Amino acid sequence: MKPPDSLALRFGSRSVLLPKRATAVALSIVVLLLLATAASVAVGNGRTVGWRAVEALLGGENAFARRTVFDYRLPRVVAGAVAGAALGLAGCLTQTLARNRLATPDLVGVNDGATVGVLITVLGSTTASIGAWWAGPLGAVIAAAAVVAVAGGLGTAGYRVLVVGLALSVTIDAVTDLVLARQPVDVARGVWGWTIGNLNARGYEVATPVLLGLAVLVPPALLASRKLNVLRFGDDTAATLGVVPGRWRLYALAVAVGLAGLAVGIGGPIAFVAMAAPILATRLAGTARVPIVTAALSGALLVVCADTLGRAFGPVEVPVGVLASLLGGPFLLWVLLSRKDS
Amino acid sequence: MRLVVEGLRAAYGHREVVSEVDLCAEPGSVTAIVGPNGCGKSTLLRCVARLHRPTAGRVTVGGTDVWQRAPRHVARDLALLPQSPSAPEAITVAGLVAHGRHPHQGLFRQWSREDEAAARDALAATGVADLAGRRVDRLSGGQRQRCWLAMILAQDTPVVLLDEPTSALDLGHQVEVLSLIRKIARKRNRTVVMVVHDLAAAARYADRLIAMRDGRVTAEGPPAEILTGELVKRLYGVEADILSAPGDGSPVVVARPEEGATTSSPGN
Repeated sequence: MKPPDSLALRFGSRSVLLPKRATAVALSIVVLLLLATAASVAVGNGRTVGWRAVEALLGGENAFARRTVFDYRLPRVVAGAVAGAALGLAGCLTQTLARNRLATPDLVGVNDGATVGVLITVLGSTTASIGAWWAGPLGAVIAAAAVVAVAGGLGTAGYRVLVVGLALSVTIDAVTDLVLARQPVDVARGVWGWTIGNLNARGYEVATPVLLGLAVLVPPALLASRKLNVLRFGDDTAATLGVVPGRWRLYALAVAVGLAGLAVGIGGPIAFVAMAAPILATRLAGTARVPIVTAALSGALLVVCADTLGRAFGPVEVPVGVLASLLGGPFLLWVLLSRKDS
Repeated sequence: MRLVVEGLRAAYGHREVVSEVDLCAEPGSVTAIVGPNGCGKSTLLRCVARLHRPTAGRVTVGGTDVWQRAPRHVARDLALLPQSPSAPEAITVAGLVAHGRHPHQGLFRQWSREDEAAARDALAATGVADLAGRRVDRLSGGQRQRCWLAMILAQDTPVVLLDEPTSALDLGHQVEVLSLIRKIARKRNRTVVMVVHDLAAAARYADRLIAMRDGRVTAEGPPAEILTGELVKRLYGVEADILSAPGDGSPVVVARPEEGATTSSPGN
């Protein structure tokens, strides 16, 4: 007897459980992500498109093509993948905490807080460029702390937090609009493009610090996943299994808020990824455990694909946030209307 | 391990629901806590299981106070089956039982040989080994309750607490589950304490009864000794006859209809 669908690897007194299906799914998504990366760098303006770009990516000699791919296109793909992974992971944590598939970080005001944070730094600077990625997590943490404080703690079911979050995020959203409305049109236009979720001109300068942030937050998320597996049994059972519910819930929420804030710092509030990635991950990897790794990889894949699609048709780029919303609506309907019966 | 409760008091807000309760449960025996709704029996169990912090008194297992120790360490000594436990969607029986091993595991001790042996043993002892691959939410009530018992058993704790383990079961499954609980106590030398609604079932399967009313223990001892018409009257406010079961002589409670009570009126 073993936990279902898993492989127990033992080294002396140490043992690790490897979920078979989830591991296979994760590896497949990595392969898809590499293919999507190749497709993404192959799309763009100028002569470096298609196979010529892929050739440069794989080590081709053409110096101009190499510069285009490695200095402009790949950094954007990496930034998108990092933002997507952070969103997918954050969504996975909040959905598990609330025991509700529609509970994403945006519902507790995280996205709007991060947006306002970045917006304020942009308008305060003279260059009006969106470089202040660190304002994202900062704004997210402040918004989430405000929501939890107003709700008077996390509570058990999380409904109170969600309702308060909904109310506060509408207010914060209005602040964003108010700030934008009072700017000169050209500044507002430039910033607005980012507030709907956009990867335009995003590269290593934001991807690197966020990648470091992700490296710091992923191990705690993995650590929390074992406890979250137990929390799915409800508070009483979890507590008698030695997992103190309040403590781990707060811990997981803090990690989720940090991750979502980092993601917004890169690409603005890209919609639906935080909701869709964990649902997709659960469908693919099964319901036996919380799909932390698969959710992160799915998020990365979704954002890279959406960004590629947005650039693939016509001369005008469709922002990734708009495309994600466009695809997310039908996805939400599919989730709500389809009953899963095996 | 012995479970000892001394001078326990517990409250919800300012309302005290458990007052000065002492009790002692021995290994190898089944102790049943009975009493009317709201008598504090469930709260008492929650205090023992570390789910509700008492306002005064001590709960010790094997001589150490459960409220002074790390939650994970207590979880190796004390298991609780809540009244209506909820399982994650689509979990299998094997998955459910495996989670019982959580207090014994760590980041690099995710599934040891002991985990394997304990889980297999728990499945066999509760007779659900054949169901290991089935989904828990597709099982009948009786089968499901045996799976939950298997999870508690896999936790491998000297003390086992059960909150109304048979409240949702029909007579046949009630008997099956209670027999299994008594077998676990006897054969594995576990200290079993359960809250039971059904006085007759408690009398039949418990070694000791603890009768509570208004947050206090009003009587305790072997069922055959303490279960009287007078006690039933004191607990539930109804007149009852106590008969002796033809088989083993254990007490059977038969309530008398209330004098002057009318049958339910139509349309009500």
